[in-house]
Amino acid sequence: MNELLTSPFFGLMLTTAAYAAGVKIQKKTGLVVCNGLVLAALMIIALLLAFRIPYESYNAGGSLINLMLSPATVCFAVTIYRRLEVLKKNLLPVLAGCAAGAVASVASVWALSHLFGLNRTLMMSLLPKSVTTPIATALAQENGGIIAITAVSVIFTGILGNLSAPLLVRLLRVKEPVEAGVGIGACSHAIGTAKAMELGATEGALSSVAIGLCGILTTILALLFPLLP
Amino acid sequence: MKLIAQAGVVFAICWISLCIERILPFAMPASIIGMLLLLLLLTVRLVKVEWVEDLADLLLGNLQFFFVPAVVSIIQYLDVLRQSWAAIVIICVVTTVVTFAAAVLAVRLTLRWMERRRK
Repeated sequence: MNELLTSPFFGLMLTTAAYAAGVKIQKKTGLVVCNGLVLAALMIIALLLAFRIPYESYNAGGSLINLMLSPATVCFAVTIYRRLEVLKKNLLPVLAGCAAGAVASVASVWALSHLFGLNRTLMMSLLPKSVTTPIATALAQENGGIIAITAVSVIFTGILGNLSAPLLVRLLRVKEPVEAGVGIGACSHAIGTAKAMELGATEGALSSVAIGLCGILTTILALLFPLLP
Repeated sequence: MKLIAQAGVVFAICWISLCIERILPFAMPASIIGMLLLLLLLTVRLVKVEWVEDLADLLLGNLQFFFVPAVVSIIQYLDVLRQSWAAIVIICVVTTVVTFAAAVLAVRLTLRWMERRRK
């Protein structure tokens, strides 16, 4: 029985099945909170705990899927490349907005981590959490964070941004599409961008430009993470 | 066949960026080096977007799937979560608002400054 559970096909089967089910539930409910990825992970965790299957058995297959994250991150260049024209047209405001957003996110996570007395591992897991998941998890791992906590915080932040975007837009009296697009992209990456696209085409395009640019700017900021107290 | 050839290009970039990671004097994740490298190769037109775009659409269209094992690995850190979940939730909420406000205000000030310069 044990060999059957440690076969990579066990983890591959579980992951594909749970993800397909998770996405189906998300489509059926149409709720942002019912994130397909989170639902899939919860189903797998529940199953592993219920049947006392060691994480290592699952990970024999899981690690194969995890390996494909690097090529996916590399391919993100294509998304940025396709948006270069939009970026060029709005270069100054987008650059300023993304720089301010990236610095504000990292600085506020840093300050609050110290306020709550979080340890360094947790702080490093949270510091890059406003950017897109592949970049955030890579940066967290590089600096000794726990990528699982990074991934969960990134998704949670995205859902928060998506749900609160209309309210934030009103509170800050945002009228320019550039402001809304960059703001949403900077604070809540792709999940937020889905909402930006509902607000308008310009908002959506600029939001996805902001995801790429904030990712790159946060990568540069992350060079300083080891120096942070 | 097309996807396999495109995977060849992307895997090559992944491996080259591992080599670059070794040489770089500062710590940067290989996957991000690979992303910046591909972006550079696309902009200088050494790599055509047609050589990678089908694979990119396939991977990015299903990006969340590739994160399932990473999120499942949280099972190893349940005690960390039990201790700090409230702090993590507050940090996520506060920084989302702060980041949005900072980005919006920076864009607004820049637009105003550009407007004034035009006059």
